[in-house]
Amino acid sequence: MMRFPSFRRQPRFVYPGEELRPVRAMGSSLPPQVLDGAARRALETGRTRMLVTAGLFALAFLSISVRLVDVMVLGSDHRAATVHRAAATAPHTERADIVDRNGVVLATNLPAMNLYANAQRVLDPADAASRLVGVLPDLKKSEVFERLSSGRPFIYLARNLTPRQQQVVNDLGIPGVYFEDSEYRATLHGHLASHVLGATDLDNNGIAGVELAFDSALKQRTEPLRLTLDIRVQHAVRKTILDAMAHFKAKAGTAVVLDARTSEILSLVSLPDYDPERFGEASEDARFNRATLGVYEMGSTFKVFNTAMALESGKIRLQDTYDTTKPLRIARFSIRDSHPEDRWLTVSEILVHSSNIGSARIAMDIGPDGQRAFLGSLGLLGPIATGLPESGSPLYPDRWRDVSTMTISFGHGIAVTPVHLATATAAVINGGVLRRATLLPDHIEAEGTRVIQPETSDVVRRLMRLVVQDGTAKKADVVGYQVGGKTGTAEKASGGGYDRKKLRTSFISAFPMNDPKYVVLVVLDEPQGLKETFNFATAGWNAAPTAGRVIEAIAPLLGVFPNHVPTDDKAIREALLKGHVRPYLAATPVSTATTVSTGGVHAPAQ
Amino acid sequence: MASEFLSPRLRRGDMTLGEKLWQMSWSLVLLVIAIAGVGFLMLYSAANGSMDPWTSRQMARFSVGLVLMLGLALVDVRLFMRYAYAVYGIALALLVLVEVKGTIGMGAQRWIDVGFFQLQPSEVMKIALVLALARYFHGASIDDVGRPGYLLPPIALVLAPVALVLRQPDLGTALMLLMGATVLFFLSGVRMWVFGLVAAVGVGTVPVAWQFLHEYQKKRVLTFLNPENDPLGAGYHIMQSKIALGSGGLFGKGFMQGTQSHLNFLPERQTDFIFTMLAEELGMVGGLILIGLYVLVLIYGFAISLRCRQQFGRLVAIGVTTTFFLYVFINIAMVMGLIPVVGVPLPLISYGGTAMLTLMIGIGIMMSVHVHRDVQMGRRGGYDDD
Repeated sequence: MMRFPSFRRQPRFVYPGEELRPVRAMGSSLPPQVLDGAARRALETGRTRMLVTAGLFALAFLSISVRLVDVMVLGSDHRAATVHRAAATAPHTERADIVDRNGVVLATNLPAMNLYANAQRVLDPADAASRLVGVLPDLKKSEVFERLSSGRPFIYLARNLTPRQQQVVNDLGIPGVYFEDSEYRATLHGHLASHVLGATDLDNNGIAGVELAFDSALKQRTEPLRLTLDIRVQHAVRKTILDAMAHFKAKAGTAVVLDARTSEILSLVSLPDYDPERFGEASEDARFNRATLGVYEMGSTFKVFNTAMALESGKIRLQDTYDTTKPLRIARFSIRDSHPEDRWLTVSEILVHSSNIGSARIAMDIGPDGQRAFLGSLGLLGPIATGLPESGSPLYPDRWRDVSTMTISFGHGIAVTPVHLATATAAVINGGVLRRATLLPDHIEAEGTRVIQPETSDVVRRLMRLVVQDGTAKKADVVGYQVGGKTGTAEKASGGGYDRKKLRTSFISAFPMNDPKYVVLVVLDEPQGLKETFNFATAGWNAAPTAGRVIEAIAPLLGVFPNHVPTDDKAIREALLKGHVRPYLAATPVSTATTVSTGGVHAPAQ
Repeated sequence: MASEFLSPRLRRGDMTLGEKLWQMSWSLVLLVIAIAGVGFLMLYSAANGSMDPWTSRQMARFSVGLVLMLGLALVDVRLFMRYAYAVYGIALALLVLVEVKGTIGMGAQRWIDVGFFQLQPSEVMKIALVLALARYFHGASIDDVGRPGYLLPPIALVLAPVALVLRQPDLGTALMLLMGATVLFFLSGVRMWVFGLVAAVGVGTVPVAWQFLHEYQKKRVLTFLNPENDPLGAGYHIMQSKIALGSGGLFGKGFMQGTQSHLNFLPERQTDFIFTMLAEELGMVGGLILIGLYVLVLIYGFAISLRCRQQFGRLVAIGVTTTFFLYVFINIAMVMGLIPVVGVPLPLISYGGTAMLTLMIGIGIMMSVHVHRDVQMGRRGGYDDD
């Protein structure tokens, strides 16, 4: 045991704690110790302070006990807890979403990270480059190395990293490499609506399509921009055209689906197309919008307008006949029919059998000025107003001579966009009111412009139905949907003339023809003749059946119910062909399950 | 009884092993076992009614701690006095070691791996600082304590580890060391004006020190002071904890029936937030009973301190008691959202060995103080029968 010598110097030592000792009471054998002032004060201070400490501890425990009772039983804190939960809000983005008519998001901004470097602070560019390429394999090592050793204080290395990629790069801990908040324009359906949506550049500025057309609006508004497009219909149409292109070995395909009354564009397909997120990598051909920018000679589909013009003029009746026995010669041209009937045809027959000679003669009866005025009233001579920056203007002769009148009557010598054709057709069959085609619900024309009388429109509808029933477009029929339409086969212009081998076939149609709701246009570029089509490559063999497949697919989506009750019979059709319009049969229901009223209100039984 | 006080043999500390065992406060040992038992039950519940992975290991650790505690209770209190500065020196050296290792190893590391367990020097320091300060003030007269110059060495004893722990950075432990030391200074009779001065200087230094902090350090301090700024981080824990507590009610949902905790809404339910789980399952009554058990331990601490006849023992007992108090108070106040979230476990209950060992060693030393309550001690720790 160690001994410490200093103890004796304090004669009046009081053992700490001695005050607690029951000395006197218990009869101590030692003399009671006398405490001087200082020692007593020290002891008293010690005891007081211990009491104070114990008191503080007790207070602390009291407070947590009270709090426990409060939180667990009284529950006065519940409101504070709910306040924090209300904090989440949708993130603010620099560019508004684009949605389809049903609110399905087509394009949206996602938060992303850009990776940049301050090359002056990078210690070892070679090592940093190889490590970065190790985790971001899309980068090129030589390129990254060049940038990191460029000495520039700010240089981008990669854009639009995902959070996972950001974490991986961050974990590398490379000095001089930083992240920048950014936004990434995501086109959720890929190629599907590319020619409508267009694309944005790296800085999220619109460079094509709706993105360009409404660039400033998209940057300002917080609400999504709603289009008239129906992405379900768009998908069905694009799929059908893709299949048709593959089947008929066509180079390109175009389709437009229009609401016959309002001219809203429900679907707009131009193939080939592109991925809006990789706009820069797409070929010039893929970026070309054939539906709104390309202008084409539409061929025989124009005969619909020619017939409407004839009837609307009041000078020509449906039963009037024209000589189509021999080719029509004018100047150095010779107009022939591809399916010569070798007799005089009624106006009905001229459309149903697609007689060029007859059409030309009808047009000459109206005259160049009347034709020009009529086509102009249908909007076929001016630009379209869909809002898309990719808008083509029609091509037509400056001097509208007789020969022009004749060829234009069957769709040659005038070039319009597919949207022109669809819009004008909608006007001709919807009772005679033209509304400009649009992609925005806000831009729908409420009034429209009357271009023909309802009676004329009714006759044109019957004739278009007849084309599908007895004419060139039998393969377009879809049971129950009363498809009507008109085929068009044009030889493609090449060099100074036309190439007989290269065709552009089209089919303009509407359904259901007793009360048209939708206009469907299909155009195929250079479809090939197949064994099953007996080597024919005309519209009736490819564009027409493709339009039929489109209608088959989209009619259920659009809520058009099939009607299996025939409204006409052979006698009525034969009379129409002779130019006599007889009333349709009353729609007598065969069974309740297939009852469809013609008024447009459809209700399935059960 | 009285004769015991006066027995020179007891004052010299010549006690047989049997006497020491007889003198030991077995009721305190029972109390400690009872609290640890509550912990075993809660860990069993936290693992959805399984001994694995927590209860079995916690029991093993507690057994080691119990043996250590009883062993330390038999050690002569004068040995603690004698080696107080040495223990303090080792603890400080370990703190410097983790600091150096942390700097070299490029990452904040608070422990040293000694093979079978990880030693946290800051935990060792909690006990070592109590011993060192108790030894320093043991020989001090009331006049000594009154001289400001006399206070400079103990202040250095406190500030050195506090600064090192702050650099780790572990603000919670640093504050615990500071508060424990303050209580010892207070009980040693340091004049009230000194506390006033230190408080004033401390408050005055904050704005100046603030200027020298980096932006990220400022942010860290602000988040520490106000975790509601970070509702998905620390604030989320507190929110879930309050919901669990509120759902417990008066008598709780029953053992192993706590939905908030068992459905993983409650984070860290086996460690820092185990009190919340207990309160959810056993209700307010269960929570208050546990707080009552802790209060009993503190009362034992104060009683041992009062009953001890040397200043060293009294200060050690109070120091250990204060450390124990801080653990309990900070943890429970934290889970109820009274103070910011700091990673302080609930003593003897939370899963984890470090805090449990620290406290059981502390209680062991405190029990040694109790066993040797009548041992006479000179100014520098030796025995002198006057």
